[in-house]
Amino acid sequence: MIDQPDSRDAPAADSAWFGDRAVPPEAKQGLVRGVFDNVARRYDLMNDLMSAGVHRLWKRSFVEQLRPRPGERFVDVAGGTGDIAFRILERIGAGDRAGGVIVCDLTPAMLAVGRDRAIDRGLLDAIDWVAGDAERLPLADMCMDGYTIAFGLRNVTRIDRALGEARRVLKPGGRFFCLEFSRVALPLLDRAYAAYSDAVLPALGRVVAGDEASYRYLVESIRRFPAQDLLLARIEAAGFRLARYRNLSGGIAAIHSAWRI
Amino acid sequence: MTDRNPDVDPKLLEILVCPVTKGPLVYDREKQELVSHQAGLAFPIREGMPIMLPDEARPLGDDEQR
Repeated sequence: MIDQPDSRDAPAADSAWFGDRAVPPEAKQGLVRGVFDNVARRYDLMNDLMSAGVHRLWKRSFVEQLRPRPGERFVDVAGGTGDIAFRILERIGAGDRAGGVIVCDLTPAMLAVGRDRAIDRGLLDAIDWVAGDAERLPLADMCMDGYTIAFGLRNVTRIDRALGEARRVLKPGGRFFCLEFSRVALPLLDRAYAAYSDAVLPALGRVVAGDEASYRYLVESIRRFPAQDLLLARIEAAGFRLARYRNLSGGIAAIHSAWRI
Repeated sequence: MTDRNPDVDPKLLEILVCPVTKGPLVYDREKQELVSHQAGLAFPIREGMPIMLPDEARPLGDDEQR
């Protein structure tokens, strides 16, 4: 099962991937935070440009599959700018938002952007903003109906710890949903996508966010992230049940979901 | 964004725990901190936002330990 064509997901025993660089695990978190401190203000604009707006469709599909219900409580991890939280609340509608959403992100600068957007949308009361680490969530055991992480797991140093924490904070019957860039499954698309990633994305980062290096990191981190089946196996290994995934746009991204039983 | 100091949502306080020990936190409203006695750390609250990162927490002094 754990048989990957290349060993991208396995840096030397004592190091972690920061893009294409192997770094000590304790260094990765600070480096990742540096990236998001740098890009926070332009992050949403960059996502629109980078994916030609497609990330909006992926996120819509993600929240549709999550099926949030009134009264349920969600934590959106690495959800700094509030994109997923807003969609969850909009889908629940104006009714019972008593459960609400906690947005937990490593980078206070990203949370500040999200909170300002929440004020603009009149959603401030339904969302709590907490700076926290996916590997060490500051939340009690079994307090959440749903855990979401969209374009965040890739930036976590120790994925398995983050998955363990996700399971811990979910109530029995709670669900885990991960949206992440994945491995393109179509032969021609994968080459076109690779060329686009190498040439276009860092250039966009330079022009729009004034920060080519941070966007180069994003491209490289996408390549390092485990492919669909491998991530599925790790979700199961963390103790989740009924794990499955669905490709989006030919596997450029994928939605993994599972239950805590 | 200057001197705004909103209170933390009481519903959030009910489920927040120390990220290190998963033990309870004590809310110090005056200092705007969430104190984990087990970990010996005080987590700051900035503009109503709990910063639950051990690297940004203040180690408790001897006189603050229980």
